[in-house]
Amino acid sequence: MREPVIRGVGLVASLAYAAAVAWLYATQPQTVAQVTGGFAAIVGAYQVDAVALADGLRFFRGGQFAEARAALARADPAERDPHVQFYIAYAYYREGWGRLYNDDALFGKGLAAVDKAIALAPGGRLVVDDPDLQMHSADELRAELQRGMTRDASDFNPLRVFRARK
Amino acid sequence: MSAAREAFVLPIIFLTVTLLAGVELGARVSLVPPSLFSLVLGTMLLAALVRAGALAPARLLHGSRPILANANGMIVLGTLLAAAAQVLGMLTPRSGLPLFFVDVFLFVLLLNTMVAQPDRVRLLRSLAVIFGSALVLKFVVLAALAGPSGNRTARVLAALFDAATFGTITQEPHPAGAGYLAFFAIGLFLAGLAALPAARPASNRTDLQINFGR
Repeated sequence: MREPVIRGVGLVASLAYAAAVAWLYATQPQTVAQVTGGFAAIVGAYQVDAVALADGLRFFRGGQFAEARAALARADPAERDPHVQFYIAYAYYREGWGRLYNDDALFGKGLAAVDKAIALAPGGRLVVDDPDLQMHSADELRAELQRGMTRDASDFNPLRVFRARK
Repeated sequence: MSAAREAFVLPIIFLTVTLLAGVELGARVSLVPPSLFSLVLGTMLLAALVRAGALAPARLLHGSRPILANANGMIVLGTLLAAAAQVLGMLTPRSGLPLFFVDVFLFVLLLNTMVAQPDRVRLLRSLAVIFGSALVLKFVVLAALAGPSGNRTARVLAALFDAATFGTITQEPHPAGAGYLAFFAIGLFLAGLAALPAARPASNRTDLQINFGR
């Protein structure tokens, strides 16, 4: 093979490898699925598992939130789809919501998931058109989760018991 | 040096070292970028390599070389600096007095190596000893002090040692794989250093001929 060809191919390969290493440092993936999914998303080849997503939405609408999260995690193993991450966050919200008090641990996980969804959405704006939901944007869900984890005087208002889950 | 070595082998070796040396195993696997001091130490290591003739920058970047060849050379130098900084960062303990003393130890050793200006072979041997010692210190000696002890007496002794040193020596425990990963990264890095384009000798005479004054 001619030397310029070797050098050219080597340059492209080195730059691609360096970009991959930089991406790994920047995103800190935790699983092999996240690594492969991340690279697939970069080249536009990442797809959510439609069957697992349908299962997840069915469980979500049926109030089976733990099952819904398991199916949604299977649908988006690389955690690259903002809509799926939004539903995971919503599942944490609905399961953690309580008439007297909220489950802070679940709300915390929901906040982490909705932050991920916002980070993945183009321009950070995510709106989900689902008539089953009372909150359609990730910003509303995030604010609701944050409010739920905040301690203030309104927590002692007895009229709280009449509020409704969104 | 062959074009394949410059375009493929060296960048791949140094990028792999950059990746492996940054991996921090634990409950959560993370990639830790080099600290500012590691970058300084990495730059000093490059300077020591150049002064010892183990790296000839003119054989990687020069006006007489084609643009593509210079681009390959630039990649080699950039990845070498990144790998050097990451290896030195990996070998440095994370906190307390060991962090301070190992940083000073590495700084003085590299400064001394730069000033002493050993030849290529001696420099590579010296680097193997420096990296090996730092590996043993961090992943064997300090890890033994930090690791969970087996029996009650060992735990009591470890607690007493920790109290006597005000907790300035003990480090966070390392998972078993961390030392092996570091060992592999150092081996690969030294192999990469040995494969760098060295400075050409001033004359064609061998060391033996020079010693005998021929």
